[in-house]
Amino acid sequence: MKLLVFAVAAFMLTTGVRGQSAGSAAGAAVVKVTGEVTRPLTLTAADLAAMPRTTAMAKDKGGVEHSFTGVALRDIFKEAGVTTGRQLRGENLAKYVLVTCADNYQVVFSLAELDLSFTDRMVILADQMEGKPLAAGVGPFRIIVPGEKKPARNCFQVTGIAVKFAKD
Amino acid sequence: MIMQMPFRKYGFGLAAGLAFVLGAQAFIGGPGVQFAGRSGVPFAGRPGGPFAGRPGGPFTGRPGGPFAGRPGPTPYPLSYPSYYGNRIDIPADNPLSVEGVALGRRLFYEKRLSANNTVSCGTCHLQRLAFTDGRRFSVGFDGTPTKRNAMSLANSLWVRNFFWDGRAAGLEAQAVTPLTDPHEMGQSLDSSVLKLRALGSYDGAFSAAFGSGAFDSAARGAAAITPERIVRAIAQFERTLISANAPYDRYLQGLYRFTPLEQEGYELFFGGGPGRSLGCANCHGGPRTLTETYHNNGLDSVFADPGREGVTGMAYDRGRFRVVTLRNIALTAPYMHDGRLATLPQVLDHYSDHIAGGPTLSPTLRDAAGRPEPLHLSAGEKKALLAFLNTLTDSTFITDPRFSDPKID
Repeated sequence: MKLLVFAVAAFMLTTGVRGQSAGSAAGAAVVKVTGEVTRPLTLTAADLAAMPRTTAMAKDKGGVEHSFTGVALRDIFKEAGVTTGRQLRGENLAKYVLVTCADNYQVVFSLAELDLSFTDRMVILADQMEGKPLAAGVGPFRIIVPGEKKPARNCFQVTGIAVKFAKD
Repeated sequence: MIMQMPFRKYGFGLAAGLAFVLGAQAFIGGPGVQFAGRSGVPFAGRPGGPFAGRPGGPFTGRPGGPFAGRPGPTPYPLSYPSYYGNRIDIPADNPLSVEGVALGRRLFYEKRLSANNTVSCGTCHLQRLAFTDGRRFSVGFDGTPTKRNAMSLANSLWVRNFFWDGRAAGLEAQAVTPLTDPHEMGQSLDSSVLKLRALGSYDGAFSAAFGSGAFDSAARGAAAITPERIVRAIAQFERTLISANAPYDRYLQGLYRFTPLEQEGYELFFGGGPGRSLGCANCHGGPRTLTETYHNNGLDSVFADPGREGVTGMAYDRGRFRVVTLRNIALTAPYMHDGRLATLPQVLDHYSDHIAGGPTLSPTLRDAAGRPEPLHLSAGEKKALLAFLNTLTDSTFITDPRFSDPKID
């Protein structure tokens, strides 16, 4: 009986430890969509793969153009319940989008410059370049702003997209 | 009171005058409120704010607020150049007051806050070394070395996440760690409260800084001393440690002309000159020479210290550490999170020739193909960079009597 108790305890201990280490090592990357949304989202790679896919072109550091695929911010906003399209008027024009990356780099877009009723430019949250997962140090998720002259907002390792009101 | 002029481009066309933000803190919230972390929105420098135009004046509180109709702490007039920007971090429940800062200064240098009365905050953050201690690792009250190098406190007002791995959101949260760590100062805040109460000499200072009397009848006399108020006062003092009077500042204000060597170093650092730009400002950008980000700067390929990964649990954060300000960098040797580089020339050698590759190496230190891209500095470039880095030394900051040990027992 003592042996049985010991065996069960040992089993629980080992599985417990295994589960814990797997959890911290695997640390699956997600993108949190928060702020002025009706449904806050925590998007995983699988979530993004299941959403409508959009392709956008952008140049890399060396000036070579690449094809990036992911989900348009517009479609993420639709899922999260953000004031877009016909709702993007009045005080909603004072909203902005704060993108935060793993290294704490942050960039801002106005909500209007991401909206297809204002512009044809489709900004995406990319998870693939040339059909392959993004490189380490860049992925798993990055922003691609097609046609932007300076690539500083094509930021890497996105962890958060927050829709906010300018309050000043 | 705001005197502000727009800076279109740093360092040019500023001869017309200096631009300083002089702000008064509004008192919102009151004693006894729990730490708000990083969400606090300060009123400093806001044109037309409720206390604009009356820095240092007597403060009687917001109508209906907890201090209404009662004299309270005097708002501390923060002053800093407008080119530092207003992205400062002051929690709504811990606005700066003259009395709070004065108390925080005493506590910063108070050795009784350590278990054996031998160590204060100021032991490992020496003013003459821009609030570092010159050691690879600091030594706590029991002689045990810390795991990482002591960081400078200069311009903490603009930092939102503290320690090399950014694990503490705000100075209040930061201060608790060295105070209570079993090997640093080794004393619980509750024990510190009892020791300070027993002294008697702190009662008035705590009451003056955080109020007492009818508003909070429990906070009379010694009872005004609480754990939260100890850390809040220290944080208030630390927020006043602003370094903005280096030769580089005088350059930005149009009052100093760089030597040719300093100018060359400045252009290598920030770009904009006829020669090459090294991209230093990608991480150490702007007049504060700091963007608050986390990078693996190629010290290792295999990490003894996981850095930011220890906070987030994410593999892509392995070996990432918080970018530090280069203000007063000539005074804050040794360098890096583990103090492995003893001198600034060694730091330049690192970026020049020793960038270690790995999956988390900063993109700013890679070429277009993702390979490590050391800067390959010439001897002349190193000399120029050193000359520029030396213009970041603020000799008034390290001698300012407002920041020194007040030696009040």
